[in-house]
Amino acid sequence: MLKSLNFQDFRKKARVAIDNRVRIITAGMGLNELRAAVRGEPPTEKPNPRYKVHTTSFIFHIRPRYYEKGSTILTHTFRLGFFTSFFFFLEVITGLILMIYYTPSPADAYNSILNLLSNVPYGQVLRDLHRLGAEGMVIFTALHMLRTYLTGSYKKDRTFTWFTGVFLLGITLFLSFSGYLLPWDQLSYWAVTIGTSMAEAAPLFGTQANLLLRGAPDIGAGGLLRFYLIHVVLFPLLAILVISIHYYKVSREHGISLPAKIEEGNVSAEVKREAKQRIDYIPDLLGHEVFLTALGLFLTIGAVTVFNWHAPLEHVANPQVTPLDTKAPWYFWWLQGMLKIDPATIIEHAFARVGIHVELSALLNSKQIMGIVLPTILALLLLGVPYIDRNPYRSLFKRPVAVGFGLLFTLAIVALSYMGTPAYAIQTPAATRILQDLAPEEGIGPLREIPFDQLRVGTYEVSSTIPRNLCTDTPTGCPVLTQAFADFSQQVNKAATDVNLQPYQRLPNAKAVMLIEDWQQDLRKITLRIVWDDVTTGKSKTYERHIFLHRDHGAE
Amino acid sequence: MSRAQLEISLGILLVLATGTFLIYQGLLEPERMARLDKEQRAQAIEVGADLFDTNCKGCHGPQGEGTPGLCPPLNDKYFFTDRLKDVGWSGSLEDYIVATVSSGRLVSTRPDQYPGNGHPAMPAWSDQFGGPLRPDQIRYIAAFIMNWQSTAPLRQQAAALAGPPVGTDITQQLPAGDATKGEALATSQGCVGCHVTTTTGPAWLPKPDQPGIGARAETRFTEADYTGKATSAEQYLLESIVNPSAFKVPGYDAVQMPPTYGQALTAQDAADLIAYLLTLK
Repeated sequence: MLKSLNFQDFRKKARVAIDNRVRIITAGMGLNELRAAVRGEPPTEKPNPRYKVHTTSFIFHIRPRYYEKGSTILTHTFRLGFFTSFFFFLEVITGLILMIYYTPSPADAYNSILNLLSNVPYGQVLRDLHRLGAEGMVIFTALHMLRTYLTGSYKKDRTFTWFTGVFLLGITLFLSFSGYLLPWDQLSYWAVTIGTSMAEAAPLFGTQANLLLRGAPDIGAGGLLRFYLIHVVLFPLLAILVISIHYYKVSREHGISLPAKIEEGNVSAEVKREAKQRIDYIPDLLGHEVFLTALGLFLTIGAVTVFNWHAPLEHVANPQVTPLDTKAPWYFWWLQGMLKIDPATIIEHAFARVGIHVELSALLNSKQIMGIVLPTILALLLLGVPYIDRNPYRSLFKRPVAVGFGLLFTLAIVALSYMGTPAYAIQTPAATRILQDLAPEEGIGPLREIPFDQLRVGTYEVSSTIPRNLCTDTPTGCPVLTQAFADFSQQVNKAATDVNLQPYQRLPNAKAVMLIEDWQQDLRKITLRIVWDDVTTGKSKTYERHIFLHRDHGAE
Repeated sequence: MSRAQLEISLGILLVLATGTFLIYQGLLEPERMARLDKEQRAQAIEVGADLFDTNCKGCHGPQGEGTPGLCPPLNDKYFFTDRLKDVGWSGSLEDYIVATVSSGRLVSTRPDQYPGNGHPAMPAWSDQFGGPLRPDQIRYIAAFIMNWQSTAPLRQQAAALAGPPVGTDITQQLPAGDATKGEALATSQGCVGCHVTTTTGPAWLPKPDQPGIGARAETRFTEADYTGKATSAEQYLLESIVNPSAFKVPGYDAVQMPPTYGQALTAQDAADLIAYLLTLK
């Protein structure tokens, strides 16, 4: 009995016991093997226990056993696909926690965001991460797709993978868009109102589609609940399904494509053999992924903590008031830009040039064509890319047509996105524009950036001389107020005197005034008024806005 | 150093840095939450000020000074110190404001001072009870009203009259009136709340489709549907002030002007007011 407990024996037994336990946890790798793997040494046992993990462990069985060395070159993939999934996991984790603090009803939604911000430790960090992750996921999905297109990686064995990828692009956009409504502020409410009005343009079932989506003619309690459920259940489930298919193809079937230069270029057999060397998942790829994850977390968490990136939040949604400069989320600006194009008018003008008069506006419904038909054609084109492009080569130089189309498409999206912003083809009357620039209905703007103590009570009239200091009676003056008033004066003077402007931008004989009143404890009322003569009728017109500013309103 | 080793050491540094960010942020969190709490309150006051300006100032006054005989002042020390005790409200003052604004008042709680302009004494404002405002907007208005607390002055409930009240006899001989003093009285007595600022009562000032009250008074008492006893423009105006139910202008049948002005004005006051009104043609 005592003999059997001698020290050597005990150590051996303990070692075996621990080794077995470790093998169970790592699904096949013993203690020695684990050490070797972490140190980057070759496998210690045969058959290679590092591959066994891929058959015995659930998590590892969906990961690749190895990638070819050539396909892991940084400048070939830029790890765009990896970061897309990184953002997806970030969204899942932060989203699950955010659900604890959120109530999907118009009466409570906005308050739950306010509560999250002012009453939950790390609440703002969570919300910012979720928002940043959503935007990151859209950006990286698009870049990943562009990279795949440019390196010709959608060809041959990878056609179906591309196909699922296009679906993932759509899912990503709609995941992001469905979450947009949930804070229930003016920004989200009107962006989603614009977005869902697109569904109305669909032929035959447009009204029904819109009703199904919104739950009522306007977005209300029903619409919010639908968007919430779409955002937290339907689309995440769809995403998990399609991501699994997409990733399974990459990890278990065809791997990551080799750079075209190596696969079909004129390179030596030595280089090709080197590029085809296997890089095992354990330990190299796993280590690299952990490193990239640390990098991603560092950048995102750094952005929302020390670099002060914050998700926007405007006033609570008000279905009765559409704020000026309402726009869709930036990744749908291209669609908003397309809707500003009226194909019927363009064709009519083109025919008119050669002397033919046609009446098309009754036949061609602009909203239907630009909002539904064209985007559908675009989506089908994207889906069909591998089947349309029959060119067997992958190198950029051997497929000029495909690359040309790709660049053209990218440029078109950028141009259309610009056209989608309020800066393009929206004629805001001059007085409205000037006051909106000074004190936007939503967001901060120059007026709200003036420190409270510089808002000196008084009446300030705009004249042709721009004042240098509005508060000569105080030693420090009021530089920010003076600057804001100077900008205001300049804009009014320009609109009043510049006859080269468009009629809607002109304010003949304009008189403008800024009135600052003490209104309440720590509250001032600012009245901005412009009086001018209408360009066409010559009648006197007035535009006026009242803005209340509190000492603690905060300006981010 | 191999690439793997570089990644491991760099990765550890990154994790440590990220952890530092989070700890740093965690230390700042209480201060940040307090700041955002303050900002949210400030923004609620701003929005509430705007809503008060569009919905409430017509009766309660732009600065919450109230309209005598119609709407009590809110920017009033009494409102913040003793109002809850007087009505026996058990919750907070802010809740009291929210409740009152939401459901309005069927009858006045102080009929002798603020009989209101008919029934209900104050309309319901919440869209849950048929009003125009959402519950969150009413919360903003309450936040704005609460912000008067620290500066609210003590307002006189009823100023002592300089002489005997004018009474309700419209045939009496009034002293000579001063239109300038009358204009000041129109504001201090709150007449402008319903006759100028809002259209609760018949408008005084001339409009494109009808002349001012001064011109209308000269002919009104001769019209067929007139039910009062006046025989001159002065008498008609005096009757409208001290005995408003004697005749109601068509279109304003449902509105009840406070019947208390005969007790709140002296004969000189009434003469001044009438002199002012007769200038509005």
